[in-house]
Amino acid sequence: MKINISRQHIYLLWMLTFFLIFVLLFAFAVLIPEGKEYRKDRTEFKKESKELRRYQNFHDDVEFRLKELQSENRNIITAFDATFDPYRFQKQHRNYFSALTLSALSKVSDDDEFIVYEVNTTSEISSPKSFYEFLDAVNKSDWIISVEFPINFKRDGEMIKSSFTMKVYSANNDSNSTKKVAE
Amino acid sequence: MKYSYIIPRKKSVFTAEIQLLLTFFSITLGMLFITYLFLLFKDYSFLSDMDDIEVVQSELNINIEDMQEQITFIEKENLLAQKVQTQNTVLKDSIANLFDLVPQRITLSEAKLLENGLVLYGVTPNKDVYNFMLQAPLRSIFHRTYSSFHPAENGWLRFVSTNYIDEEINLSQEIDSEN
Repeated sequence: MKINISRQHIYLLWMLTFFLIFVLLFAFAVLIPEGKEYRKDRTEFKKESKELRRYQNFHDDVEFRLKELQSENRNIITAFDATFDPYRFQKQHRNYFSALTLSALSKVSDDDEFIVYEVNTTSEISSPKSFYEFLDAVNKSDWIISVEFPINFKRDGEMIKSSFTMKVYSANNDSNSTKKVAE
Repeated sequence: MKYSYIIPRKKSVFTAEIQLLLTFFSITLGMLFITYLFLLFKDYSFLSDMDDIEVVQSELNINIEDMQEQITFIEKENLLAQKVQTQNTVLKDSIANLFDLVPQRITLSEAKLLENGLVLYGVTPNKDVYNFMLQAPLRSIFHRTYSSFHPAENGWLRFVSTNYIDEEINLSQEIDSEN
């Protein structure tokens, strides 16, 4: 029995076969690996996005905590950043003394975070009560100041002469950027 | 001689069937290539986005570290400020206690408040008043108390009272209490 297929149909058959092989090869060699790669990258991307959101949330939490601390401690931060001004100090606290003299400021320690200055003070008070009021006022002053030992009180007629040392604490702004942020 | 009565029609390779087939092939191939290009683009986009995420993440990391340093520093500032304020308040109370300690019959002429001690200069009517009214409370506060007397012009006694707290004893007491 003789099968009679026209030349045109043979061409068609060849083309179809060639097309089928091409499509199969393209799908298995290129499209499917690329699809797998796409799925892998998509999973990775989702993971990274989730991680980024976690970082962002943590960042927001830390930022909130920082802002909260800055607003809660604004006075302290400002006091640490303020440069000690002996004239202003005298002006602010002269009410507690009959006389108040401050020596020149000298640096006693300088670490990464804080600089400590020392200033010797001689004063005259009418009663110890003035000194107590001065110590209360020092705690509310524009600087962080501690009154240090030794403290001398000497009667001089009706007045009491006192001499003591004060330590002024200041933030070392070379190594800290709190001032910049606080502003 | 005539061979045919009809005009020969032009024969083309692109018959209707072939054209249909080619259209089908083109559409199929087009879809395949578009899918492939879409996947390539998405891959590129994911990789590029992941690079961006990495940059943002490292920036966030730097920011977080910086902010945490600032938080630590503010906490240190706060602690130091509180310590200084407490120290001033304690000092005020100590001085107030000292002046409250001195009875009215004894007059102080000078007081030196040291880190671990107290030196008092003054006048007392007699030794007994000093011993009972000033030295006794001083002894209860300080570990070592020394007194010396010199006669004053008005018949009273000038005294110098030197009092110290031993740090070593303080330390050992603290260690004992911790144990």
